Amino acid sequence: MLFSYNWLKKYVKGLPDPQKTADLLIKHSFEVEEIKKNGNDWVLDVKVLSNRADCFSHLGIAGELAVALGKKLPAFVPLKAGLRRGKGGKFKVVVEEKNLCRRYTAILLENVKVGESPIKIKERLQFCGINSINSVVDAVNYVMLETGQPLHVFDFDKVSDVNFKVQSSKFKVLKKIIVRRAKANEKITTLDDKEYKLNESILVIADEEEPLAIAGIKGGKKAEVGSGSKNILIESANFDRLAIRKGSRSLGLRTDASLRFEHGLDPNLTMEAIGKAVNLIQDLAGGKVTGGIDFYPKPVNPWRIKLDIEKVGKILGVEITEERIIKILENLNLAVVKKNKDSVLFKVPTFRQDLKIQEDLAEEAGRFYGFEKISIQAPMVYLKPEERNENIFWEDRAKDILKEIGFSEVFNYSFISEDEKDLFGFNSADLTEIENPLSSEQKYLRPILEVSLLKNIKTNQNNFDEINIFELGKVFRKIKTKNEKCKITEERILTAMMTGERFCEMKGVVNLLLKKLGIAGASYEEFENGARINVNQSAVGCLGGFLPRILKALKISRPLTIFTLDFEALQKLSSEENNYCPISRFPSAMRDLAVLVPVKTKIAEVIAKMKQFGGVVTKEIDLFDIFEGDNISQGKKNLAFHIIYQSGDRTLSPEEIDEIHAKIVKGLEVEAGWEVRK
Amino acid sequence: MYNMIGKLEEIKKQAGEEINSIGAIEELKKIEKKYLDKKQGELVQIFHSLKDLAGEEKIEVGKKANEVRSFLIEALKSKAVEIKAKEDGGSGEEWLDITIPGKKIEIGHLHPITLVRREVEGIFKSMGFNVADGPEIETQWNNFDALNFAKDHPAKDGWDTFWIKSDKAIDPDSPERLLLRPHTSPVQIRYMKEHQPPLRIIIPGRVYRNEATDASHEFQLHQVEGLMVDKDINVANFKYVILEFLKKFFKREVKIRLRPSFFPFTEPSFEIDFSCIICGGKGCRVCKQTGWIEMMGAGMVHPNVLKNAGVNSKLWTGFAFGFGLDRLVMMKYKIDDVRWFNSGDLRFLKQF
Repeated sequence: MLFSYNWLKKYVKGLPDPQKTADLLIKHSFEVEEIKKNGNDWVLDVKVLSNRADCFSHLGIAGELAVALGKKLPAFVPLKAGLRRGKGGKFKVVVEEKNLCRRYTAILLENVKVGESPIKIKERLQFCGINSINSVVDAVNYVMLETGQPLHVFDFDKVSDVNFKVQSSKFKVLKKIIVRRAKANEKITTLDDKEYKLNESILVIADEEEPLAIAGIKGGKKAEVGSGSKNILIESANFDRLAIRKGSRSLGLRTDASLRFEHGLDPNLTMEAIGKAVNLIQDLAGGKVTGGIDFYPKPVNPWRIKLDIEKVGKILGVEITEERIIKILENLNLAVVKKNKDSVLFKVPTFRQDLKIQEDLAEEAGRFYGFEKISIQAPMVYLKPEERNENIFWEDRAKDILKEIGFSEVFNYSFISEDEKDLFGFNSADLTEIENPLSSEQKYLRPILEVSLLKNIKTNQNNFDEINIFELGKVFRKIKTKNEKCKITEERILTAMMTGERFCEMKGVVNLLLKKLGIAGASYEEFENGARINVNQSAVGCLGGFLPRILKALKISRPLTIFTLDFEALQKLSSEENNYCPISRFPSAMRDLAVLVPVKTKIAEVIAKMKQFGGVVTKEIDLFDIFEGDNISQGKKNLAFHIIYQSGDRTLSPEEIDEIHAKIVKGLEVEAGWEVRK
Repeated sequence: MYNMIGKLEEIKKQAGEEINSIGAIEELKKIEKKYLDKKQGELVQIFHSLKDLAGEEKIEVGKKANEVRSFLIEALKSKAVEIKAKEDGGSGEEWLDITIPGKKIEIGHLHPITLVRREVEGIFKSMGFNVADGPEIETQWNNFDALNFAKDHPAKDGWDTFWIKSDKAIDPDSPERLLLRPHTSPVQIRYMKEHQPPLRIIIPGRVYRNEATDASHEFQLHQVEGLMVDKDINVANFKYVILEFLKKFFKREVKIRLRPSFFPFTEPSFEIDFSCIICGGKGCRVCKQTGWIEMMGAGMVHPNVLKNAGVNSKLWTGFAFGFGLDRLVMMKYKIDDVRWFNSGDLRFLKQF
């Protein structure tokens, strides 16, 4: 929010230069984003904190600066003209929504001469981002910038007349101002000639016939104050912050007034502000107060907070004397009600709606004492070793294993688009949808990681011959529970991709990963285009190629091999246990064996047979070659193995090995169509 | 047959001696012609005569002939290398061109955010902090209400939130309304509900902010939250912990300053700046000439937050802080655009 330096200076004697003023604010109150010279003035762009509704005003900021300089808050100027409470004379105020309008203060000023504002006022408005309209409108805007209380002026003569029954047969012509909810589909044309369709959640100021203003947000055209206006009604009201926020949001209309109301204003501010407004209008446009009404059924009174003096030091970690604390709080207009041995009871002025508990007072003391004076102290706590976070531990372990194998970790957005949903054939009922997405690109939360990993392949395919990537991240799915209720699940998934048709290699990656995570008993089962990975008979993931249809649609030029694992399941199976297996002291011997089998024979079956006939001394069987075509007869494949023979308790003699090897050969040849090559 | 074998042995022996005795490439060629010429070579003659042999003999002799041929080819080759080396450098040893580019060895890479997250975790763990985590989809209660946010207060505007579309009509202020967490602070509530003080935790995690992206703004980010609750914890203790962290992380002396701020879940609240590590506080482009870099929000945990999480605020006090991990990573590696992190571009990722 923009503030005029010269204006602030008017309230605070001895204010230093603009840069130093900004530094004071930064140190004690708010961030200053910019200082800009404007004519003879400087404009400070101050980031007022959202709990300080009182500081959306020059008086509020001036107060912060005064206290920072060790002075008291500037005092309010009292109202010159007297205001007769509750007696409007020529008008009545009817507040239908007492909960949404806690106070409505209005003053009738007759015989004003609307003209142009003096240059000083015009400039200040302009510096603070408000256009000059005419002397009366400028005056109330000026007071808003000064006090933070939004005000509005109506052309009194344009408000509809009502015949009021005074006695049994006597009527009096009166104007009636009504604070009510808008009716459904009611319309209003605002001061900037825009038409808005209202609804029942929006509060309006209306006469007997129609809305005159959208309460706390914007004035209407009907009772606009222009150069011809003679009699004006000044409104200074307090509207409920939630009602204004909802109304402003539903209309898509944010104004200087709505911004201030949204933050929650002090109802006691209306009287002080309207007093200033009357004074200023009279200075600029003359006029005479002929009536005023102050609807304020439940006045808000100052409240009390007991401050335990020791608590301030306990929170801040620095000793501030009681005297100093009291001085700071008194400068902020808090009053000491009672001093006890260890505590002080303070009365809090109603404009400081942010001060509710003693911690709030400790903050005020700390702010103006200076946070920089707080020293650095190591906490005194007892030693306690870290307790490992199992989720993060296993995630990190899996990431390290894949990294060591040569995979690079990617991070992707957790969203998928409408188009991607269609391409992958997801049902929107199973997806988690974002209510307010940035764009249709981020409409749903991802149910699988493949969608974004495929994008990564596309990003990299022109720069790299070989791409090995993985992501370990969350996926979101909507599932129906037993009682038909929808539940959103959030689970970790590990997915890796590799360019090329490299099933065998990728299977090796999965095997190594599982082994290193301490998971034994993995098996593979045929499934769609690839294999399902099972551990102890339950599925934990899958491994295989990717649908060419999707690759084509995504313009991915290379075939891919992919695996995906349910990381939640994996973590439960993982174990750090790893027992050393004694290494045999006896030599091993290697023999090769090549066997010709029908193409569709499963390699696992061949190995199982070899183990069966070879017995315990068959230590290891490694497939080192698969060969088809050329010299191999049609419909057959040649499998070549290294077999390592070793015993744990003796040296195997060459004759013994020959015998076992021959047994395997014989065993294999029993199978129809299997032929061991010699 | 043994005749033939004997002859082959003889050829091998003789040719071997001949090759050994020579010193010039031209002579080498002569020997090659003598034995291996496709028409008149001595060895080739033997191959030709193979057709006259039969069965076992044919196989045996063929095998031997091949062996001798391989031997000759190999001997000629290594002699040629030897002669050439003598001519080039004189030493006769193989010359090594050490300017040859090293073979590119492919290894895998971890994401820079993973790397820096581990580093951050390591420093805090060394000070006795545990690492906690929590879900990315949160309830309005955990994310806002329990953290002392007033209903529909403009304070919430600072947490541009993505809301999850509900199947049924739901009151926008309902505590059960779901959202994508815009900060990791709800994990404070979750953790304190499960663990009574004293406690020291950090919470690294992914967060989401509904805002347009550019070089320094992202809608999907990573945050590190910190929480310490114990007897008599104060602002001076917070200053100590965060300074120790910064010194260890940047491996140099760092200064911090606290500016007043407002967060509904802390009281008092601060913004923390640290002295610019590039210019040391003199003012440069990175710190926008201020000498300070904005780092995090922090404060003393609000008594209402402790109460909402089931902790007795009369007995315990604590501090909490939260900072952007992405920004820290950018500073560490001098990365100029936050969008690299979610790009999946290996030209970027393989640098870490």
